[in-house]
Amino acid sequence: MEYLKILFNILVFPGCLFVGAMGLLLSGIDRKVLARMQKRVGPPIIQPLYDFLKLLGKETIVPKAANRKVFLGAPVVGFAALVVTAALIPVLGYRAFEGSADLIVLLYLLTIPAVALIIGGSSSGNPYAGIGISREMVTMMSYELPLICIFLAVAKKVGGSTLCFSLSQIAAYQQANGSLIGCVSLIPAAAAMLLVIPAEVGTQPFDVAEAETEILEGPLIEYSGAPLAVFKLNTSMKMYIMTALFSALFLGGLATGVTALDVLIQVLLCIALTLICMTTIHAVTARLKIEHLFKFYWTVVAGLAALSLVLVWLGF
Amino acid sequence: MSYIHFPVIAVMTLFMGAFLTVVFGRKSKAVRNILALAASCTAFVLICCLIKPVLIDGEIISYWMGNWSPVEGYAIGIGYEIDQLSMFFALITVFTVLMSCIYSIRYMERDSALDFYNVLFLMLSGSVLGLVLTGDVFNMFIMIEIMTFTSVGLAAFRNNKAGSVEAGFKYLVIGSIGSSMTLFGVAILYGNCHTLNMAQLSSILAGRLTPSTLMAFALMFTGLAVKSYIVPFHTPAADAYTTAPASISMVFSGMVNKAGVYGMIRLVYIIFRAMDKSSVQLLMVIFGVVTMFVGVTMALAQHDFKRLLAFHSISQIGYVITAAGLGSALGLTAGLFHAMNHTLFKGLLFLCAGAVYYAAGTTNLDKLGGLSKKMPKTCICFLIGAFSISGLPPFNGFASKWLVYQAVYEKAVTSGNIFYAFATVAAVVVSVMTLASFIKVTQAVFFGQLPASLENVQEVPALMRLPMWIMSALCVLTGVFYDQVNKWLLAPAAGAALNVSGYIDRMMGEGYAAEAGVVNIPVFAARFSFWNPVVWLLLFIIVLAAFCLAIIGSSGDRASISSAPADAEDGKYATFFSGEKSMPSHVSGSDLFWGFKKNWKGYFKVMDGIHSGRVNDYALYVVCAAALITVFVFGFVR
Repeated sequence: MEYLKILFNILVFPGCLFVGAMGLLLSGIDRKVLARMQKRVGPPIIQPLYDFLKLLGKETIVPKAANRKVFLGAPVVGFAALVVTAALIPVLGYRAFEGSADLIVLLYLLTIPAVALIIGGSSSGNPYAGIGISREMVTMMSYELPLICIFLAVAKKVGGSTLCFSLSQIAAYQQANGSLIGCVSLIPAAAAMLLVIPAEVGTQPFDVAEAETEILEGPLIEYSGAPLAVFKLNTSMKMYIMTALFSALFLGGLATGVTALDVLIQVLLCIALTLICMTTIHAVTARLKIEHLFKFYWTVVAGLAALSLVLVWLGF
Repeated sequence: MSYIHFPVIAVMTLFMGAFLTVVFGRKSKAVRNILALAASCTAFVLICCLIKPVLIDGEIISYWMGNWSPVEGYAIGIGYEIDQLSMFFALITVFTVLMSCIYSIRYMERDSALDFYNVLFLMLSGSVLGLVLTGDVFNMFIMIEIMTFTSVGLAAFRNNKAGSVEAGFKYLVIGSIGSSMTLFGVAILYGNCHTLNMAQLSSILAGRLTPSTLMAFALMFTGLAVKSYIVPFHTPAADAYTTAPASISMVFSGMVNKAGVYGMIRLVYIIFRAMDKSSVQLLMVIFGVVTMFVGVTMALAQHDFKRLLAFHSISQIGYVITAAGLGSALGLTAGLFHAMNHTLFKGLLFLCAGAVYYAAGTTNLDKLGGLSKKMPKTCICFLIGAFSISGLPPFNGFASKWLVYQAVYEKAVTSGNIFYAFATVAAVVVSVMTLASFIKVTQAVFFGQLPASLENVQEVPALMRLPMWIMSALCVLTGVFYDQVNKWLLAPAAGAALNVSGYIDRMMGEGYAAEAGVVNIPVFAARFSFWNPVVWLLLFIIVLAAFCLAIIGSSGDRASISSAPADAEDGKYATFFSGEKSMPSHVSGSDLFWGFKKNWKGYFKVMDGIHSGRVNDYALYVVCAAALITVFVFGFVR
């Protein structure tokens, strides 16, 4: 029974199936609402699923210059890492694998999919991919600084004068004292986190690494068929994971204790967060240059996060 | 008991190996190799025999040379004392020596004067082993001297290559300044305490920080810091690691700078027992953070594979110093763990760099590319090393860095000092930059496009790959089973550094420490937060298996995977290359991060100015830093 529960957790909820479905749903909603904002009709909400299935059926081409194993293995590793990461993030009250990872671990687990994309793109041997991975890496360096400041601020707020990186402790604290977004000192951190999400997922204006119109999707340029489908799915799943992480960190007080209700709230929260920090920003901005992106994150966003850290330290 | 002779025999074996190589080594290649291999294997086995008594049973071994035991409470003779901390570093040393020895058999075959190489190599090994096992500060200084001069010889070994003699010279100058400072410090201590034995010094210095002992502390601290190449003493390391043969670069970063780190830990934790002072903690952490940051940013700007690794070596030592400088059990555990992991992954990376040099004849990142198809096994080893050093879960670099962050942030929240919070942020950012820089190497050496000149590159021989595989396996194992590593290796070693009275009593007789008023720092087991790599790995494998099952289940008849020829005249695939037959990549490997570098132009300009390559400047930095440390010590250490 115990093993069946683990298998259920990892393969159905909150693992594979749930994350995949949520990712596709979120990107469908994102595309639809974006289209409405731009006065287009837009695709149906399940269009990402159609795209995914269609790509699965297409021919897979491996360039001669590529290292075949790495080229085909990278998307799969990224996918598996994302699913496991998703299973470790609590769904409001529901925590599947308690005590196997903390905030710092999550920070690093989140880099694995990006590294998989980079290594995959790099192994294709294409020069556009070379430019793409360089940008992906710089993007990663950009958002990692604010992200760690946010995590440390939250940890200090929850832990006080003890070390606390545990997600369950953060959830318990929020259930007792209300959501962390209600704290004055953490509002800048929440704002910074909202800005980190689109960079982590790679949506406009922070999609410099893929930049279809400019470097032809960068790391993905040589990918086709099933591996491409998996990479596209990975991007969608990141939308869910990042929004879920935001709600675990700042909106944990909304948990009701009833699992079904919690899941529903979580889904609604993720949709709302996607609309706020990805769709809206996408609709009103144009793509940045990579050096501007880096500057923006290391000044404005990191500034917000560091402000939060200092405020928490001063006891607000 | 017989095993008390093992440590001294291990050191003697290595020196004897060097001596015998001088006498017989010129005869033939086989004699040389057998001598070197026999000496390193013997040392390895002898030290491994001590695992049970020292690490498992918790015994501390003391050994008076020529049985010159203390007379009337004063230690006169030279004593070896092997506690768990020494044992930990001794294990690192003999392991590195063995790996390097196996690797060099094939790697060095194209060089001449190999008998000199083996002599220097064995003397270097013996000196480092002697340094970590000795219980006498003057003996430690002698070993530092041997270590420095053999290192100079080895750094300049390939003297037909540009820059190697220069590197040796820089190493000589900076190393000698460091050694002189250590000697001066030792002399002051001797004048004050009339003894050179570490255990006795520790009990005499308890609570006695007079101006002269403070001076000795500042000088010895600087001297040992020079040997561990922390910024601003790092300048000779970058050159020496680059020009030395890869098997020696691995030894340099694997154990020579660990010897410096060991010396610093021994100095601050045991001889002066200064780690409960917040000023000393601050001194170490500031040096650590500056070191890790300068190291990694300089690494981002490098064009040479080995030089890049050298700067990363410096940067990773910054982590070790930061963590060890916290003075807490968790911090020291994290520091020792990272030191060990650094030996594993950096050694592995240097060996990979050596393999690339052996196969392709260059380590210039701008001239390499696409080697993953020619050297797939080296590529896998390199990726494991690169992921380990960048701290990707579940490799060992992640486990130790994660402990470092926890230790530093724990210090921040318990002391309420926000400086430590920003030190944590810096540590994480440095880790990301490390990843960036290794992505650059991966792209520039193993992926990307294969230059026409490298068409005929072959995979390196199996004897060279053997140490690489062993170290790769250890990188994964120590990362996944880090709590076992902690239980058997780190906790005893950290405990030994924090429980000084046992160390003193073993050497000077029961009750000596209590009489001198030595109080142990209470050790509480290092508390781990949540990271269960085994669970994570299991889940990962389940998902991977499910995915593969789904692929196999759905494949049927249409899963034809074809390969597009890169430069075929076939219109079908032309779109993938924008219609051009062969398109040059205008982003060369070393310039991969211009988006980042552009924003940091000013910083890199300053750094370029600082790393001027003039040995006068470098010596000046050492002296200035020594002056600053002295001022700090006199001003703040109470």
